Amino acid sequence: MAEGKNLYETVIVTSAKLGEEGSAELVNRFKALIAEHGTVESVDDWGKRRFAYPIQKQTEGYYTLINFQSNPEFTAELDRRYQITDGILRTIIIKRDPRHVAAQKPQKAVAAEENNIDVEAIAVEAVEGAADGSAE
Amino acid sequence: MADRPEREVRRGRKGRRKVCSFCVDRAEFIDYKDVAKLRRFISERGKILPRRVTGTCAHHQRALTVAIKRARHLALLPYTSD
Repeated sequence: MAEGKNLYETVIVTSAKLGEEGSAELVNRFKALIAEHGTVESVDDWGKRRFAYPIQKQTEGYYTLINFQSNPEFTAELDRRYQITDGILRTIIIKRDPRHVAAQKPQKAVAAEENNIDVEAIAVEAVEGAADGSAE
Repeated sequence: MADRPEREVRRGRKGRRKVCSFCVDRAEFIDYKDVAKLRRFISERGKILPRRVTGTCAHHQRALTVAIKRARHLALLPYTSD
């Protein structure tokens, strides 16, 4: 069955109401499910992110990206499980093109983008503070 | 050197030829998870910018549209803002 495997990636968005542990546990359940039917290649936890728009009146959730290999039949089952699981707000399953896998890079940039603003603002403040201190 | 080549003298508006930024980067695929990049291709209201504004080529514009829609589904990008 090895030749019948495809590369997939899936993003799970869980409710912030579950808390960090609750969300991690939920993700682990799905990790185990995927491992049963295929192989988990990598897991990337993006942590808590603010939504671009409210989902079920909630404004943030935990994002997790899982890269895996499996038979194409499994994706339907995975999606079905997503639909019947409470605490999951959004999911996506995407087939990865094997030609592009080499070009894949970790999603550190996403987190960095948001942190950037704060870091710069703090840096500016620090510089200003230092200038004030030295002037006096 | 002149800012724009002589053969491309257009009436009315002067324009600079836009180049598809994905072609420049040799991008093979457009990642829906790359929010910072996708944000450059949506308007303030969250609409996908047309090719004539961004200069994206047809091939990449199609891929970009899909990527933005995926990002919207995951609430990484807004469908609309205010």
